[in-house]
Amino acid sequence: MNKKMIMAGLAARPVRTTVSILAVALEVTLILVVVGLTSGISYETGKRTEGVGADIMFQPPNSSLILAINNSTMPIALENKIKEVEGVKAVAPVQTLVNSSSGLEIIYGIDPQKFDAVTGGFIWHKGGYFKATDEIVVDDVYALAKKVTVGDQVEVLNHKFKVSGIIEHGKGARLFISQQTAQEMTGMVNRASMFYVKLNDPDQVNTVIGRMEKVFPTYGLRPLREYAKLMMSTSMPALDAFIETVVFVAVCIGVLVIFLSMYTTITERTREIGILRSLGGSKRFIIGLIFQESAVVCLIGIVLGVGSSFLLARLVQFIFPTLIVMITPDWILKASFFALVSGVIGSLYPSMKAAAQDPVEALAYE
Amino acid sequence: MKNLLETIDLRKTYKIGKIEVEALQGVNLRIREGELVAVMGPSGCGKSTLMHLLGAMARPTAGKVLIDGDDIAGMNDGQLTEVRRNKIGFVFQKFNLLPTLTAGDNIAVARHIHGRGGPAHDQHLEEILQMLMIQDKMGRRPSELSGGEQQRVAIARSVANRPAILLADEPTGSLDTKNSEIVLNMFRELNRRFRQTIILVTHNPELVIYTDRLIEMRDGVIVSDNDPFPEDTESELAQPARSV
Ligand SMILES: Nc1ncnc2c1ncn2[C@@H]1O[C@H](COP(=O)(O)OP(=O)(O)OP(=O)(O)O)[C@@H](O)[C@H]1O
Ligand SMILES: [Mg+2]
Repeated sequence: MNKKMIMAGLAARPVRTTVSILAVALEVTLILVVVGLTSGISYETGKRTEGVGADIMFQPPNSSLILAINNSTMPIALENKIKEVEGVKAVAPVQTLVNSSSGLEIIYGIDPQKFDAVTGGFIWHKGGYFKATDEIVVDDVYALAKKVTVGDQVEVLNHKFKVSGIIEHGKGARLFISQQTAQEMTGMVNRASMFYVKLNDPDQVNTVIGRMEKVFPTYGLRPLREYAKLMMSTSMPALDAFIETVVFVAVCIGVLVIFLSMYTTITERTREIGILRSLGGSKRFIIGLIFQESAVVCLIGIVLGVGSSFLLARLVQFIFPTLIVMITPDWILKASFFALVSGVIGSLYPSMKAAAQDPVEALAYE
Repeated sequence: MKNLLETIDLRKTYKIGKIEVEALQGVNLRIREGELVAVMGPSGCGKSTLMHLLGAMARPTAGKVLIDGDDIAGMNDGQLTEVRRNKIGFVFQKFNLLPTLTAGDNIAVARHIHGRGGPAHDQHLEEILQMLMIQDKMGRRPSELSGGEQQRVAIARSVANRPAILLADEPTGSLDTKNSEIVLNMFRELNRRFRQTIILVTHNPELVIYTDRLIEMRDGVIVSDNDPFPEDTESELAQPARSV
């Protein structure tokens, strides 16, 4: 019977019901897509960093884990000091540049010989390394997304480059230019953002890091095995704060819309509430009806929101093929939970107000 | 005979800001099981206020309202609600059907709130629907019914749970003469056939012929009452032998 009353009530106000459902769907979609995008990017970047084939990432002091896109603050000469550490086989300095104009592109400025020494070399689909300062190496995903091939021009960070080679994706970045070009573009000469370090024995990572810490006590030294997982984990304060903010904003949207919807509903239906009270309906009965009604709105909104998140993820990937949206089951659960919570919070005051109505006055309400 | 309703020096004062309106100024009355009572009086004399108190919709300012022996004066909201749910049926001037539900569902809601399990219809309800001539209107919404039909649905809803007391505040106030007659005949029928105790407020002196007893009010007090059992003056309260 409750179900019938709730459905009849919702159907009697189709526009408001639809808007409320859409707001909850928006809440869920916002959470899922933004979280999916952040974790997708960090996971994917992590995977690529892992895929470099190095054993240790050597970063400047206080560097963040995310993306390793710091300014090029270390003197490139550190390379030789790192090499001196026992167990180190090869060191590749990298200068990173970031292009955020379409999606998020990381460009590595590298010395091909040193980079190959650490990574074991690229798998070349076409062409080869840059031979001039206006040449660039791109990965196959980028080439496919931008529909370019060797000899074509691409514009990166307001520079026109000629594609000199296309490589298999998965080695640190999608775009590679020469160290010299990177230095010219950033104006930072003889500096590096990070060093990839290859060891003689990969199993000695922790021992070697221990040795390095003695020489470079303040620097960021991270083993690269399981790096992607680390990027995904909750041990990333900056990303967590970002996601928390998004969730908070999304929940606020849900709370406000549900509140407004339920508030106007109970005001509009004051008389009906009076009727139910005159029939012997208790306060709890009234509160229950309002909560159940908002729960129905939330549930439909959740289903719609999850569905549209997947659609939007597809769309994002279609427009920006280099981006990945990771919609995980645990975040679907979390987003649904947040949507329900906002339904509860949003209906709290309206339901209390409805229950507190004096039955006689409610019946007299026009 | 059992006193179903009794008021003792019942007073109700409304406060509008600093102004106090004494809607009821000491009402004493007793209504027994199976009575059909009309309450009349000029507008503003306190008829609706009295009905709200008799129906446990509000608490008195002073005095007592005994509903089936229980004084509602000291009851909290939950207890008042329970009295309404278990003992009272209301019929209003404005029908007060739930607009989004069909006639049948309006009745079902009342039964649902009452907590009656079992089938949606039982023999008693079937009989009442037949008597009210609305069995074939159950699938319609209030907006698809005439005023007279709506009021008959409201009556069916009010007695669906077999309340001890049926209170009707100007039930014919929104109806034309013909429908008023039909509705009043229904009340009399309910009273005769099921011994339903009914108190109804009316403005129309002509309608009083449908009732057994007439209570006239003026300015918050009863000015005349042709109580058919005046000798039965002992109050419920003065009968300690009877367990309340
Ligand atoms: N909620 C209220 N607040 C303040 N005053 C009220 C309220 N309800 C009723 N009154 C006043 O109490 C008095 C009795 O009102 P009541 O509604 O009981 O009269 P009534 O006999 O039912 O009148 P009518 O025949 O017009 O329905 C009136 O003076 C009215 O103005
Ligand atoms: Mg009145």
